[in-house]
Amino acid sequence: MEKLIQLATDIGKLWAKYGSSYLAGIRSTLVLALVATAIGCVIGFFCGVLNTIPYGPNDPPVKKFFLKLIRAIVRVYVEVFRGTPMVLQAVFLYYGLPYFTDGNLRFDSVWAAAILVVSINTGAYMAESVRGGIISVDPGQTEGAKAIGMTHVQTMVNVILPQALRNIMPQIGNNFIINVKDTSVMFIIGFPDFFAAHRAAVGASYLYFPSATVEMAGYLCMTLVASFLLRALEKKMDGASDYELVQEDPLVMTAGTYSHPNRAPFGEQNREV
Amino acid sequence: MAILEIRHLSKSFGQHQVLKDIDFTVNPGDVTSIIGASGSGKSTLLRCINLLETPSSGEILYHGKNVAGRGINAPEYRSHVGMVFQSFNLFNNMTVLENCMVGQIKVLKRSKEEARQNALLYLDKVGMAPYINAKPRQISGGQKQRVAIARALAMNPEMLLFDEPTSALDPEMVGEVLTVMQQLAKEGMTMLVVTHEMAFAKDVSNHVVYMADGVICEQGTPEALFGNPQKQETKDFLSRFNKL
Repeated sequence: MEKLIQLATDIGKLWAKYGSSYLAGIRSTLVLALVATAIGCVIGFFCGVLNTIPYGPNDPPVKKFFLKLIRAIVRVYVEVFRGTPMVLQAVFLYYGLPYFTDGNLRFDSVWAAAILVVSINTGAYMAESVRGGIISVDPGQTEGAKAIGMTHVQTMVNVILPQALRNIMPQIGNNFIINVKDTSVMFIIGFPDFFAAHRAAVGASYLYFPSATVEMAGYLCMTLVASFLLRALEKKMDGASDYELVQEDPLVMTAGTYSHPNRAPFGEQNREV
Repeated sequence: MAILEIRHLSKSFGQHQVLKDIDFTVNPGDVTSIIGASGSGKSTLLRCINLLETPSSGEILYHGKNVAGRGINAPEYRSHVGMVFQSFNLFNNMTVLENCMVGQIKVLKRSKEEARQNALLYLDKVGMAPYINAKPRQISGGQKQRVAIARALAMNPEMLLFDEPTSALDPEMVGEVLTVMQQLAKEGMTMLVVTHEMAFAKDVSNHVVYMADGVICEQGTPEALFGNPQKQETKDFLSRFNKL
């Protein structure tokens, strides 16, 4: 009991002196995690879509070559960034750039460097998730879309990706929560996140354990709130569980006045392929 | 002039030849039923006609133009030839109404309002107008299939392909789908129907194709094929159905 009172007073002391820097750290951590997860998702979707462009035996060899090349490049990207620690990638890029350009090129802000590293890391994980999400959509959905004349791009945008996105929402949430915690390694390039606030506070006060307690509680709060919000978002995406029957005749305004439009004959329509 | 002429169509999956030298013609207003045992290649034939499978050899002439060759705009061709699947394949992320609108808007570039009116017209025709706000997972199999028919019709296609449209349905739901199809036939829609419903083949269609082991064994009017089959295989197949 004594110890707990001691802990509470120590935390009080820390908070009085460094409270604002803890809060600023929380803000930086959340902004970085949010922005990097969003950019990572975009990269992931881009790679996932490139990876699932189908080609058949009747396609021209050039198309097949390019698709295979794209798949190889995406594969290398995924393997390299999934297979090395993010803390090293940060150091590698942050110091590698000025090293190779004799200081002519460097990251002007740690923000840009941190967002870049976390984004491409998330992208590497998301690329596989998105591929999985696309594969998990029933192939009948693709056939249904093709059968009404949709192109591959139209099928993807209107039918497959919306369903794939719903399928991988849990994994996007996973990645976001991982990012909230793992951005703590960005202290290595001097990024002022929540964990950096801890390092600054203990460097001056030597209150290691009380500060660590603050950090633990802080990170847990962030991830719990994120979990809750993500669940709510998923529920919203699923839409209402019931529907309204339309009782009145929806054609009553137009009955008898509407003739269906004429179609241009086959081959005379100017359309994208 | 014929809408569709199939000439010497063959399809192999690896070493396995599923379709061998298929020949037949579809004229405007024809209701053609394709019957035969499971595995005889009926569905593959239909999927080849819609280019969901690439034929190994032969020609599919649509208004005299071979669509099985290279350099064909397959999506545009498919938008003229609607297809209804055994497993419905309604878009799960859209409501009933959106299912019937999306193709018109994205493929035919119709305006939203135009697409909506046209979709409602056909949803009403299949008796699904009250359900326009439902998602596919919220309606029954027979209702899904009727929506799928409306989705295909909303594209104003020249002909419709049906791939065993009632095979995945509970017996009490088969009727509602067949009624819709019968109505379409009566209105002169050109239809090509792969089916196990012998009553439909007999009473509604004007041309019946019997397939066995990847070849067309016999074809003709329903009266001739059901009343006076020429080949032994056809007789055996039909007698098995008559016993049921």
